[in-house]
Amino acid sequence: MTRKTASLPLSYRLAVTSRSLAALLGGYLLASMASVCIALVAPLPQVDATLTGLLLSFVFYLLAFIWCFACRSALRAWLGVLTPTVLLSVISGLAYWMTSA
Amino acid sequence: MAGIALITFAGLVALCLAMQKHFADLLRRKPRPGQLRLLRGAGWLLLLASLVLSVHLRGWAHGLVQWVAVLMAGATVWVFGLPYLPRLLLGLAAVSVVLGPLLVVYAG
Amino acid sequence: MKEGFRQAMAWLHTWTGLIFGWLLFAIFLTGTLSYFKEEITHWSRPEVRSQALDPTHALEVAQRYLLDNAGHSGTWFIRLPNAREAGLNVGYRDTHGGPRGVVSQTLDTQTGEPLQARDSRGGEFFYRFHFQLQMPHPYGRWLSTFCAFIMLLGLVTGIITHKKFFKEFFTFRPGKGQRSWLDGHNAIGVLVLPFHLMISYSSLVLFMYLVMPAGIMASYGNDTGKYFNDLFGRNDAPAPAQVAAPLVPLAGLYVRVQELQPGARIGDIQVQNPGDRNARVTFSQSSADHVAYRRSANWTFDGTTGALLSQGKPESGVMMAAFSFAGLHMGNFAGPWLRWLYFFFGLAGTAVIGTGLVMWLGKRQLKHAGNERLPGELRLVEVLNIASMSGLLLAVAGFFWANRLIPLGVQGRADWEVNTFFITWGLTLVHAMLRSGHRAWAEQLALGALAFALLPLLNALTTGQGLNHSLPAGDWAMAGFDLTALATGLFLAWLAGKLSRKPRAAAGRARRAASTPPAETAGAS
Repeated sequence: MTRKTASLPLSYRLAVTSRSLAALLGGYLLASMASVCIALVAPLPQVDATLTGLLLSFVFYLLAFIWCFACRSALRAWLGVLTPTVLLSVISGLAYWMTSA
Repeated sequence: MAGIALITFAGLVALCLAMQKHFADLLRRKPRPGQLRLLRGAGWLLLLASLVLSVHLRGWAHGLVQWVAVLMAGATVWVFGLPYLPRLLLGLAAVSVVLGPLLVVYAG
Repeated sequence: MKEGFRQAMAWLHTWTGLIFGWLLFAIFLTGTLSYFKEEITHWSRPEVRSQALDPTHALEVAQRYLLDNAGHSGTWFIRLPNAREAGLNVGYRDTHGGPRGVVSQTLDTQTGEPLQARDSRGGEFFYRFHFQLQMPHPYGRWLSTFCAFIMLLGLVTGIITHKKFFKEFFTFRPGKGQRSWLDGHNAIGVLVLPFHLMISYSSLVLFMYLVMPAGIMASYGNDTGKYFNDLFGRNDAPAPAQVAAPLVPLAGLYVRVQELQPGARIGDIQVQNPGDRNARVTFSQSSADHVAYRRSANWTFDGTTGALLSQGKPESGVMMAAFSFAGLHMGNFAGPWLRWLYFFFGLAGTAVIGTGLVMWLGKRQLKHAGNERLPGELRLVEVLNIASMSGLLLAVAGFFWANRLIPLGVQGRADWEVNTFFITWGLTLVHAMLRSGHRAWAEQLALGALAFALLPLLNALTTGQGLNHSLPAGDWAMAGFDLTALATGLFLAWLAGKLSRKPRAAAGRARRAASTPPAETAGAS
């Protein structure tokens, strides 16, 4: 990606910042939610399910990062990260409610 | 470990030579029709042999770790040594085909 | 981001690599040194002499010491000497204790007396630094773990970006300026990729409980302690019965363990409620015996009767996966040859980062080849590059020089060795700011070459355990350190030499490159 020697437009800088936040914070949320979901849903003993969730969480973080910078806009970055997060949290919530009920 | 390292090294070199560009550069001649395929087959076979030997001698855990380690080491020596000592390394690879198994049998 | 997937990944690779590269270089370098931390400690405390290993005798000695000094404590820890660690380490919980409430002492296995050796952290300093970064708990661990994640990201984006991955698998073309740096960077990245991926991901595994606690909290609620008990298969020790009962001889229990697991090397021994009827003694097998950490490899005995109470629970498949990553990262199972390979692969990882940082600047410097002064942000990168790479090496050398030069009796000398490390590092930063980039590199590398190459001489003059003594005596750890220091000095001298020859050639190439369209240098390969 070539950089002009003149300073970059503000809109570009804002977009990069937005994507970065989506990746850093949104990605972390996604990874956390994924680990929660796996821990609650996986058909394994409690400790093994939790462990699996932890081990796989980083893959989600990695994918989130890649998505946030590969997609076409900063908005898509956020949507692409937050939508699965919400989905996973709904599934987790259901799983938690079903096991505690 | 040395014997397995040498067999692995020979396998890597064979796979490298199985590429048209490297064959021509290193051996200074054009490969005959079946030669590249032969080298590729030999290369994979040698790598498989060293893996099997490593696991057989040290079990799955230690064996696998050691095999990957000597694979990475051999590849690094080859790639970084090649611009400086191509003939020495080619000679080492050739000798390894015999020396490697010998070391495995006598030194384990 | 709109130009295509590969280009976007190249952009991400380049920028995350730059921002975290300086810190990652330090983490990788000190981590690499950690593979020989016991040997470094051996060099740093030359007064500790290696003796023939006698585990049963060592246990008798340890038990006697702890009985005399730690009778009031509820928990004892013993770490037997092994092939790489000469000292017998004992510890006990004490409210007035040191860090984490534990008092530690290293004993002489012959006399049972505390070892009289110079106070130094030795290799442990570099080991702790590489994941704690000299920051208060838990910030250092958070930061280093995040860096590990960025390293993993860098590796993945690097793989995606490297177009001709298989076609150029065996390609390295020296002597071609930026092209060679890129070849070298790609080559050490690709050829040692399994190691780089393993080391980065396993770093995450080691601290995942800390950085990704959501899963544990969701599953275990308030009882997160239960997660760890479930994971390590341990039960809390029974409360003391408040009935005095002598502790069985630990040496006898050691013999029992050898019967149960012939040939096992013992790592740690823990005694809970010593001198009480509810005493428990747990023997853990040394991590050197297995690739993966084995929670099953420990035996718990009744401390008063000597009866075997339990063995560690077998690991599940998932546990084996996680413990394998931990074990692979630590590399405790590695014998001498494999340990050296670990060391070289660690250096390779360090070099991947270093070459990346140099290239980042080099590419952009070409555009300013005609001018005398770099724009501010590039100058910042240049200064940080120099301080974080040659500067760090000088700091490492400084630590070892301090170790030999600070007088033995000085209070807090271990802390002063560490201070020397950071003061030296700070000075290299100042130096890099004051000198031109080229001169700063050359001067720091040259000084580094001297500092490392003279270490064996310094060692010989100050301790009498130089190469002329350690080689004939077969003290491979001591000799190995001196020889490695010498080799490092020679390598840095060679680097300094190459740099001093570059100016005219580099300027010529730079002028030519600046005038031709940068088809090869821009974008990814």
